[in-house]
Amino acid sequence: MNAIEIRNLSKSFGPKQAVNGLDMTVPEGAIYGFIGENGSGKSTTEKIICGLIRESGGTVKLYGKPHTDGDVRASIGVLIEAPGCFPGLSVWNNMMIQAANLRIENAEKEVIKVLKTVRMEGAAGNKYKNCSLGMKQRIGIAMALLGNPRLLILDEPINGLDADGMRIMREVLTDVTKSGATVVISSHVLGELEKIATHYGIIRGGRMIAEMTAEELEASCRTFVSLQAKDMRAAKAILTSRFSHVEEDEAGYLRVYDEVKTEEVVKYLYDRGIVVTEVGTDKIGLEEYYIDLMKGARKNG
Amino acid sequence: MANSFEKNTFGKRFGSMLKVDFKRLFLSRAFYIILAACLLAPVLILVMVTMMDGTVSVDPQTGKETVMEGFDHVWQIIGTVSDPNANAAMGGDAASGAAAMDMSITSMCNINMLYFAIAALVCIFVADDFRSGYQKNLFTVRAKKTDYVASKTVVLTFGAAMMILAFFVGSLVGGAVAGLPYTMEGFNTLNLLMCILAKMVLVSVFVPIYLVMSVVAKQKLWLSILLSMMVGMFLFMMIPMLTPLNATLIHVLLCAVGGVGFGFGLGAIGNLVLKKTSLV
Repeated sequence: MNAIEIRNLSKSFGPKQAVNGLDMTVPEGAIYGFIGENGSGKSTTEKIICGLIRESGGTVKLYGKPHTDGDVRASIGVLIEAPGCFPGLSVWNNMMIQAANLRIENAEKEVIKVLKTVRMEGAAGNKYKNCSLGMKQRIGIAMALLGNPRLLILDEPINGLDADGMRIMREVLTDVTKSGATVVISSHVLGELEKIATHYGIIRGGRMIAEMTAEELEASCRTFVSLQAKDMRAAKAILTSRFSHVEEDEAGYLRVYDEVKTEEVVKYLYDRGIVVTEVGTDKIGLEEYYIDLMKGARKNG
Repeated sequence: MANSFEKNTFGKRFGSMLKVDFKRLFLSRAFYIILAACLLAPVLILVMVTMMDGTVSVDPQTGKETVMEGFDHVWQIIGTVSDPNANAAMGGDAASGAAAMDMSITSMCNINMLYFAIAALVCIFVADDFRSGYQKNLFTVRAKKTDYVASKTVVLTFGAAMMILAFFVGSLVGGAVAGLPYTMEGFNTLNLLMCILAKMVLVSVFVPIYLVMSVVAKQKLWLSILLSMMVGMFLFMMIPMLTPLNATLIHVLLCAVGGVGFGFGLGAIGNLVLKKTSLV
């Protein structure tokens, strides 16, 4: 069963097409990393899933039912852009209001539990407006967790979180999916996303340009030999004449993407009088994969 | 995880929405500030108008003298007697029938002003949902907008009725402070209670109007207040007619019928606006 199934979704704001024929499949129990550039249509898609804006066309199904179904929607936890809290009220009162909204029995106990989960129990008495950005994000995550939602939609939840906050969020999201819940998380902090996501969807110009599992991403992420030599210009020229895919990265290292052993590259350079000062193998991560994909997409228009 | 979701009936949804809105109302500082203002306003009006009673002002251009007339009794701040004869007995203009068109300060500075102040309560309450971003939490888990409109109508009608009650209590205190008589001419205590009750019920006509304007304007508080004032003005003239000092149960029932009609009619419009427009 898929938690979310979107087919041919479109949304336009006047002449601007924010979402354009988007297809998206989120399996139940997945942590789905929803990635895209600013203005690519991520937030719009999430808002449509949550019923906050109406789609211009296409279908959105949650657990096999239309996303307008009240019973399914009642089991969504959401954090879109910023937590929806009343600034003049305390964190506790904001949480209690949301608990009432969700008809949670033993609301006080549940609120304490989620605040403890995000290590915010000490800030319950603080006015929301006096909380820092990181605290607000944690409160937003706690609010989204209230009532054990089956589907969590988190838009940029990592923004403003410190290292401890990010670690807590990773733990929380991994825990909720163990109980069968599904998480859709959009973020520009791809390094963090890579640590938890089980599935990825990459969106550009309102269209899904790639959708894959973490294993598929792993398989498509190439390994490479990375090196530095005393004479980088000569090394590059020699390697380019021998190997088909050689690039210089932003840090000034030469990368050889061909399926070749490190020793072979070093020996090849050594035989031609080039001394290698540093060498190793590495693998391109989600961030580089994403950047490559975007470059390709831009080239293809 | 089983693919079953708890059935949420209207009763369950509406009950929880009412709980949310009442919680918010009682936690809202604006509500208490407005209530305090409603309590203080009649005291200030009664005391100040009584102090100015009999003062003469001269128009420097025409040289015309105007004598300021204060309240004859406390209940004038609550309303007027609708019967022409009783009106005459109280010093009103018999020919005019209902004193609705009386433009003196004593008829302008009365409880009916509150029907404009109620717009502030409704607009602030609704705009806060949208300005804080709380509507994202709310409408994500509530696909049916009827819960929102119905609950807001009930809770804000209650809040507005409390404003009327606060003004009434303030009038009683203000009368004592200003030393005005509590004499009842042309009506009795039961009529007075019916008048207050009718005014409290009549807010159910105004609240749905202001609520529709608020959901149209969403986070734009200034726009919702402006629209509410403009539309509310058209109905303002009916307040003295529907809630005179000598009101009976009929007046209360009339207000209730109006409230139910406006509540359902405008509630449906508000529901449609929320359904058809973007909520963020």
